[in-house]
Amino acid sequence: MDRLYPLWSDVASPALLASRDRRTGELVFPAVAKDSPLVSLHETAEIAGTGEVYSFTVIHPGRKSGEAPYALGFVDFPGPVRIFGRLQGPSRPAIGSKYRARPDEQFGYVFEAAQP
Amino acid sequence: MQDIYLTGGAMTVFGRHLGVMAPELAQEAILKAIEDAGVRIEEIQAIYCANVLGGMILGQLIVRDLGFKGIPVYNVENACASGATGVHMARHALLAQQYDTVLVFGIEQLTALGGGTIPLQRNDHKTELYASAGMVLPAVYAMRGTRFLHERSASPADLAAIAVKNRHHGSLNEFALQRTAVTLDEVLGSRMIADPLTLLQCCPSQVDGAAAVVVSTKPGRVRKQVRILSSVVVSGMRERADDDILDAEITARAAKQAYEQAGLGPTDVDVVELHDAFTIAELLYYEALGLAREGEAVSLLNSGATRLGGRVPVNPSGGLLAKGHPLGATGVAQMVEIMWQLQDRAGARQAQKAKIGLTQCTGGGIAGVDHAASSVHLLGV
Repeated sequence: MDRLYPLWSDVASPALLASRDRRTGELVFPAVAKDSPLVSLHETAEIAGTGEVYSFTVIHPGRKSGEAPYALGFVDFPGPVRIFGRLQGPSRPAIGSKYRARPDEQFGYVFEAAQP
Repeated sequence: MQDIYLTGGAMTVFGRHLGVMAPELAQEAILKAIEDAGVRIEEIQAIYCANVLGGMILGQLIVRDLGFKGIPVYNVENACASGATGVHMARHALLAQQYDTVLVFGIEQLTALGGGTIPLQRNDHKTELYASAGMVLPAVYAMRGTRFLHERSASPADLAAIAVKNRHHGSLNEFALQRTAVTLDEVLGSRMIADPLTLLQCCPSQVDGAAAVVVSTKPGRVRKQVRILSSVVVSGMRERADDDILDAEITARAAKQAYEQAGLGPTDVDVVELHDAFTIAELLYYEALGLAREGEAVSLLNSGATRLGGRVPVNPSGGLLAKGHPLGATGVAQMVEIMWQLQDRAGARQAQKAKIGLTQCTGGGIAGVDHAASSVHLLGV
């Protein structure tokens, strides 16, 4: 998908990208769009390492949809920055468990349970 | 400051009004509200139409055939807080002496969407990205529920007890969509939607309805005077990395302003209609509205204080959970319910000796904020 903002760094082991507000130091995810009038106030920053699940839910689609249940959650990464996304791994995540981001064709990124 | 009165109000039954067009649905509430206020059509000087998904210039469409002589019609959209925002804006105009008497109505026809959760506003990179991954309002509230159970040592039954209470209240309300009382086991045993929220802990998605109030600087001619003691609308601030999702900050801020404006505090409130779109919301709003101290929402619920017959009944109408939540109509319907409660007109669901009532609703549907809008009103007799 063509995006107007960078989602992943273009290196061998890519990292999710955010924007850091030069005035406050606050991280903004996703990164500020290239055509935004706010772009000059931000610099691109990589979101590194693993994050911890802050909260989650497991969605149970209706039977007619044929979809299996899937987990969603907020994950707190160093930065700090809190990001929402799909949680892949255990069918039922736990608050505080570790996840890392990986690219995903459908959603742009997902969070995968980190091996202990 | 100039006194502002709710001089009349009415609502349709919230239900599945299949095949009914917007004018017929809303006109029922409008004409009954005008009759309730004891005013003539000619005395209405402006109209505020609250709606979210019904399309452009809906207000003009709805009132076209009612005999208004070209007076201003303002269409108001603020997601689920649209109706309350309409009343708020009407009050501004009355305080500015632009008008003496105006009509505010809200309408929504969700059955036209065919069911399912309300879509987010996706004209934004962040919301589009999050919505693509599965962010919907039930998921947002469910994550609050998960965190609540984690931090508060609460149980899923504590969430479900809100549904039992409000659905009991709804069973007493002839205007409610769902009028069946349920047990705790039935709530917990209903289909899981977004863990920990089961189906009976979510407001029904297929509902249509309208509600209307007449707002005036002149006291009503017919019934006990209901004054708008305070009226607040605030917007959500961008979420930060360390936000506490159990802190309904936007609503706490709106409530604080509303209490200050009215010169009242939470202990003065006798009856409440609040935005229980999902069970967890009511528990969080107990604390945001100051009805319970931080960490004591479950204790307040378990004390029975918020049931009909308790110290401060919350959602005697059945709330969004049982009455239904036709978005644009909800905020106005909450005021109609509180007006009826304060005038001792609420029938089987009447709160005892209510003098001060509070309404609260929030509008959501974008990523990156607690909620987009929150509105709190205090009404009194």
